[in-house]
Amino acid sequence: MLPFHYLPYLAAFLFCAGLIIVIVKRNAIMVLLGIELMLNASNLNLVAFNQQYPAELHGHIFVLFVIIVAVSEAAVGLAIVLRVYQYYQSSVPDEIAELKG
Amino acid sequence: MDNSFQLLAFITLLAPVASFITVCLIAVPNPKTISFISIFWMLLSFVSATILLIAFWKNQPLVLALDWFIVGDHSFSADLALSNRSILMLVVVAFISFLVHLYSAAYMEGDPDWRRYFAMLGFFTFSMQGIVLSDNLLFLFIFWELVGFSSYMLIGHWTKKPEAGRAASKAFIMNRIGDAGFLVGLMIVWATYETFSITEILLSPTTSTWQSAASLCIFCGVIGKSAQFPLFTWLPDAMEGPTPVSALIHAATMVAAGVYLLVRMYGLFTEDALLVVAVTGMITTIIGAVAALSQYDIKRILAYSTMSQLGLMILAIGMGVVDAALLHLLTHAFFKSCLFLSAGIVIHALHKAQPAHLHFDVQDIRNMGGLKTKLPTTFATFLLSGASLAGVPFFSGFLSKEAILTALVTHTNLISLLMLVVIISVSFLTVLYTFRMIWLVFMGEARTIRSLTPEEPSWVMRLPVVILALCSLWMLVSWNPFDFKGWMLPPAEPSSYAVWITIFSVIWVGVAVMLSWYIFNRGQSKTNEALRNGFYVDKVYGVVLGVVISTSSSAVSFIEKRWIDRGIHAMVYVQVILAHFVAWVDRVFIDGTVNGTARLAGLGGKITRSFQGGNIQLYIFWAVFAIIIFIIWAIK
Amino acid sequence: MNGVTILFYFFIILAGVSAGAIVFSKNVFKSALFLLVSLLSVAALYVLSFAEFLAVAQILIYAGGILVIIIFGIMLTTKISGRPLVVENTHILSGGIAGISLFILLTRFLPSLPSGATSGLQPEDIRVIGLAIFSRYPVPFEVAGLLLLIALVGAAVVTSHLKSKA
Repeated sequence: MLPFHYLPYLAAFLFCAGLIIVIVKRNAIMVLLGIELMLNASNLNLVAFNQQYPAELHGHIFVLFVIIVAVSEAAVGLAIVLRVYQYYQSSVPDEIAELKG
Repeated sequence: MDNSFQLLAFITLLAPVASFITVCLIAVPNPKTISFISIFWMLLSFVSATILLIAFWKNQPLVLALDWFIVGDHSFSADLALSNRSILMLVVVAFISFLVHLYSAAYMEGDPDWRRYFAMLGFFTFSMQGIVLSDNLLFLFIFWELVGFSSYMLIGHWTKKPEAGRAASKAFIMNRIGDAGFLVGLMIVWATYETFSITEILLSPTTSTWQSAASLCIFCGVIGKSAQFPLFTWLPDAMEGPTPVSALIHAATMVAAGVYLLVRMYGLFTEDALLVVAVTGMITTIIGAVAALSQYDIKRILAYSTMSQLGLMILAIGMGVVDAALLHLLTHAFFKSCLFLSAGIVIHALHKAQPAHLHFDVQDIRNMGGLKTKLPTTFATFLLSGASLAGVPFFSGFLSKEAILTALVTHTNLISLLMLVVIISVSFLTVLYTFRMIWLVFMGEARTIRSLTPEEPSWVMRLPVVILALCSLWMLVSWNPFDFKGWMLPPAEPSSYAVWITIFSVIWVGVAVMLSWYIFNRGQSKTNEALRNGFYVDKVYGVVLGVVISTSSSAVSFIEKRWIDRGIHAMVYVQVILAHFVAWVDRVFIDGTVNGTARLAGLGGKITRSFQGGNIQLYIFWAVFAIIIFIIWAIK
Repeated sequence: MNGVTILFYFFIILAGVSAGAIVFSKNVFKSALFLLVSLLSVAALYVLSFAEFLAVAQILIYAGGILVIIIFGIMLTTKISGRPLVVENTHILSGGIAGISLFILLTRFLPSLPSGATSGLQPEDIRVIGLAIFSRYPVPFEVAGLLLLIALVGAAVVTSHLKSKA
C-alpha cells in the first residue's frame, strides 16, 4: 500500500514554503507564485484526507472548486500586478507603501 | 386630586423662574416687551395660586413628596407642604408680586438696567414662594438665602448711588449675622431629630433643652430677616432701593418671611423661647413706632412702621396668638405695600415735576404738603391704607389688631398684661405717626413744592395701588366690619371680652385720631434727634465696635509682633525648605512619572505605528503570527 | 517496496525539493519553472491517489493556464522596466520564523492521516465525479462558472484600462 500518510507532511511543507515565499520575496509575481503553492498544498491535503472516506467525493469536488478560485485569483492578481507595475513602475511590494501609517 | 394640587403648586412656583429665565435670555432689547412678559408670568403664577387656594381651602394639610438626593441612609427631600396657611401666603406673595411688577413697568421706565430689575424681581418671587411652600428646613434655608441675595441685588439696583450699594451690603451682612444663628439652629435640629422635614420635626417628641436652643437659633434668622431688635438697622437703609422693591420685599413679603417661619416652626418653640420671642417683638414694636414718629423721609417712616408692625406680629406669636399674627401679616402685606406704592407715586410725581434748578429731597415730607388736590387718587389710596394701618374701624388692620387683642385678653398673667399695654400704646403711636405723615404730605399748605405741578401717573401705576387700597377694607377679612372671625381664622370659642374690646378699640382709635388732628393741625412739629436716628443703635454699634476693635487690635498687634511673628518666620523657613524638597520630589518623581508615562505611550504608539508600515508582506507575517498563536492556544 | 511506491516517494521528494528551490531561487523565471515542476509532481501524486480527474485538471489549469499567465506577467513586467529577473529577499527573519514555526505546528500537533489508509477509488471513477458535480453540486458549479466569468471580465477591465492610460 502506498504511504499516503506522508502526503499531509508534504502539504505542510509546500504550504510553509509558499508562506515564506509570500513574505520574503521582493517581487509581486513571486508573491503570486507563493500563493499558488499554498493553494496547491491545501488541495493536496484535501485529496489525501479524502482517502479516509472513499465512498464520498467531497474532497475531490472541493479541490475542483479551489482550482477554479485559484485560476480566477491568478488572473485578477496578475491583472492587478500589471496595473500596479504600470502605475508605480515597480513590482516590488516594499516600494508600494501607500498604506503606511 | 393630589396631582392637580401638585401641578398647580409647581406652576405657581416655577412661573417666576420662567420669568427670570425668559427675561435673562430673551433677545428683545425693548423694555416694554420684557415687562409685558414678566407681568404675564406673574399673572400665571397668581392665577394658579388662586385656583389652588380655592380648590384646597379647608383641606387637611398635605405634603407633596419630592425626592431631592440621597446621602448614605439619609434621603433629603424637597417636599412641598400644602396647608391653608402656606397657600394663603402663596396667594398673597403672588398677588403682590404681580401688582408690583405691573407698577414697576411704569415706575422703572427709562431705567437702563430694566432687564436685571425684572429678572431679579422674578427670582425674588420664586425664592419667596419657595420659602412659603418648602417643607424641608434645609431647602427652606436655601430659599431663605436666595431671598436675601435677591433682596441685596434689588436694594443695590441703582449701582450709581453709593448709598444704595452700602445699604445693600448692610442688609446682606445684617441678614448673614442672623442666618449664622439659623445655620447653627439647622445643625442642632439635624443632630436632635435627624430630619429636616418640618412636618416630622413638629410631630417628634420634645427634647426640651436642645429644642429651646434650636428654636432660639432659628429665631436668630427671623431677627435678621424680619428686622427685629437688635438687627433692625438695615431695614430703614434698605429704602435706598426702588420704591416698588420696598413695597414688595421690605413691606409685604421678605420681612414677613421671618414671621411666616415662626408660624411654621411654632410647635418647635418652647415656653422659654417664646418668651424671648415676645420680648424681642415688644422691644422692636416700641422702637419702630417711636422712631417712625420722628422721621422726615417718607419711606423711612414706612420702614420703621413696618418694623413696628412686624414686632407686633412677633410679639403675638411669642404670646401664642399664631392665627391672629398670621392674619395681621396678611392684612399688613396689603395695606403696607399700598402705602409704599402710593409713596412711590408721590416721589415719582415730585421727581418728574422737579425743575432742574430747584434741587430738594423729594422724599422729605417737610418739603411736601397740600398734595391732596394735586394727587387725588393717591391721596385716597394713601388715606385708605393709612387708616387700615392705624386700625380705624371698617378696615382690615382694625380687624387683625382686634384679633390679637382679643386673644391676649383671654390670658390673665402679668406678662400678657404688659404686652397688652404695649400693644395698646403702640397702636396709639401708630395712629399718631400715620396721621402725621398723611397730614404733612397731603394736607395743609404746600411748602417747598408750592410752585410745582405734580401730575398723577398713568393708570398702570395707579391700578395696583387702587386694588391694594380696596384690599385694605374690612371685606377682605370678614363681611362683618366688627367681627374678625371671617373666613380665614378657624372658628374659636366665643369670648365674652370680644364686644367690649371692639368698643374700646373704636374709642381708642378715635381718641388717637383726634389727638393727632389737634397736634398736627397746628403746624410743623419738632422731632427728637435720637428718635430720628432709630435710637442711635447704628451709632452705638459703630462706637462700641470701634472702641473695642481698636483697643483689642492694638493689643493683638503687639502680641503678634512680639511672639507670633517670630514663630511665623521660623515656620516660613521650615516651609521654604520643605517646599524646595517637595519641588525636587515633584520634579524627579512625579514629573518623571508623568513624562515617563508619556514617553511610554509614545513608544507604544511608535511600535504600533511600525505595524502599519504599509508593507503588505509584513501584514501577512503578522496575520500568520496571530494564526500561530491562535493555533497554540487552541491545541493547548 | 515496489515500483509504484518508489515513484510515490520520488514525486513527494521532487515536489518538496522544487518548492524549496523556489524559496532559494533568485530568478523569477526559474522560480516559475520550479513551480511547474512542483505542480506536475503534485499532479502525479494525485494520479497515484486515484484522483485522475484532478490530476488532469491540475496539469491543464495550473501547468497549462496559470503558469503561462505568470510567465506572461513576468515577461510583461520585466519588459516595461527593463530590469533583470533577479529577485531580492526581505524580512527573511520574520518569514523564516513564520514558515518554520507553522510547519512545526502543522506536522507535530494537527491530526494527520493514519498510516496505511486505503483508497476505495478506482481509475474509472471520473464518471462518478462528473455525476456528483452535475447531480449533487450543480449550484456551486454554476456559481464557480459565474466567478470565472466575473474574474475574466474583471481582469480584462483592469488591464484594458491600463492600455487606455498608456
